[in-house]
Amino acid sequence: MPPGLNNLRHIVVLMMENRSFDHMLGGLTATHPKIDGITPGLSNPDTSPAQNRVPAQPLADFQGQLEPDPDHHFPAVDLQIFGGDTSPNRVASMQGFVKSYFNQRRDLKHSQKIMYYFPPEKLPVLTTLATEFAVFNRWFASIPGPTICNRAFAHYGTSFGRVDMNLLYVNEPFKSIYNRLISARPKRTAKLYYYDTTSSTMEITNLLQHQPELFGTYPQFLSDCRKGTLPDYSFVEPNYNDHDTDSGEEIANDQHPDHDVQAGELYIASVYNAIKQNPDLWQSTALLIVYDEHGGIYDHVVPPACTPDKFTASANATGTGMPFAFDRLGVRVPAILVSPWIPKGTVVDRVFDHASIPATITKFFLGDYSPRSPRETSADIFIEAKTATVDPARNLLSLDKIRTDCPDFDV
Amino acid sequence: MTLIHVPRPPKSAMDPNRPVNALLRAQMEHMQDAELKLPVRQQTNIYINAIKTEGEAGEYIRRVTEAINQAHDAAARKRGRPGSKKRGVIDIAAAADDKSPKRRSRAAARKKAKTKLSKKAKTKKSAAKGGRKA
Repeated sequence: MPPGLNNLRHIVVLMMENRSFDHMLGGLTATHPKIDGITPGLSNPDTSPAQNRVPAQPLADFQGQLEPDPDHHFPAVDLQIFGGDTSPNRVASMQGFVKSYFNQRRDLKHSQKIMYYFPPEKLPVLTTLATEFAVFNRWFASIPGPTICNRAFAHYGTSFGRVDMNLLYVNEPFKSIYNRLISARPKRTAKLYYYDTTSSTMEITNLLQHQPELFGTYPQFLSDCRKGTLPDYSFVEPNYNDHDTDSGEEIANDQHPDHDVQAGELYIASVYNAIKQNPDLWQSTALLIVYDEHGGIYDHVVPPACTPDKFTASANATGTGMPFAFDRLGVRVPAILVSPWIPKGTVVDRVFDHASIPATITKFFLGDYSPRSPRETSADIFIEAKTATVDPARNLLSLDKIRTDCPDFDV
Repeated sequence: MTLIHVPRPPKSAMDPNRPVNALLRAQMEHMQDAELKLPVRQQTNIYINAIKTEGEAGEYIRRVTEAINQAHDAAARKRGRPGSKKRGVIDIAAAADDKSPKRRSRAAARKKAKTKLSKKAKTKKSAAKGGRKA
């Protein structure tokens, strides 16, 4: 058994908001060619009669640029992926991002900003983590739609047929990953950490209002890291809104446009630091940093088909006039796995989506389990189970000795 | 070991008066659905359609989240009390609707008045039996 897996006791997932892979990590391709990001020639047509090509450019700014918030609901994402083609045998082209953003403000020049990406030096935290640990070239949102449904895949392995932001009731015997763990014999432990009660959680309807005991706050996460009392599985949410508290201002750090991206960098760094500063925790924890969806922002990789879920969203529900069988993934998002057992510069090309999260946690802590959604049972896992034989080609925690050269962040 | 400096955002990046985005709007709607299942006394009486800014949204979200936590805490406390095994489900759920001091004292006053009334009625009855006036 590889020592990295043998030592692994805790898995932490931090899910940020609404930024695409190319937007955040695409600039790394120039210096790290195995990372599938921005290359010369990537562009989208604008809405002028000549349909001028708008190239992807390293001009993204931390705040104030993507106003209004780029549309990331199902119909808009359909336009972004298929470029406006609604024919039965249409082929995805990733050519509709500028058109989609133009629809919101009818400003030709402004619509080009959807193609902007960050030069790596502007994002020291994400850039460092992506190049020091494992970056996923093919982690996609679970559906080509908005936040609530995509986060549902991370909690339940399905969105129960929903593609919108409306109330989402669990109506099938698919338990949340948290309930699977705490109901197991022997019992496992799990917690969702929201930033504070003013930010709260996005998983209200099924979890917060029925089981608030599953939740903790970010200060509790920090304390649990210090004390070494982190549960087996932790899901960490960022701060979703700017607000004042008795102890000062709390700036939104989820990176959802138009919240400041630097605030999110600080938050990611502080989660990393909290784990790393406890040596026992650092050597026994894997941290996944992932984004829930692309936020309407450009990415060049066509989302692949996938095993259909057992649900279908009607033509009315999708808003496109076409039903959706949950047989196609959403747009690519940044995803990085951090552990001192991962070789520096690891790049993973296998396909993942957010259903991979409950799939991985279940396999690692519980082994075989049912019932689960078809999407989850077919999703790839990002951490191998602790079995007698581990496939070395799949195991990311592959080092024989723990690294001593991992960076620290000065926050 | 490399130490990477992480710049802080400028103070101007923070704006509680920023208009509510679609995500916060959806979160508030989900919160409202949960809020309406709370005992009336614990509901916020905030009209979420009038919420326009992130600061206002955060305040609403905080109040509902804390109310949910308090309701569950109250029920858990009641469940843990000695002799609570005999209590029915309705009683435990009602524990979430802890009475305010004012309502407690009104309830106590009503109970006292009821006891006084029934004592008076008993005295009248026995006086009627014994031919004595109350």
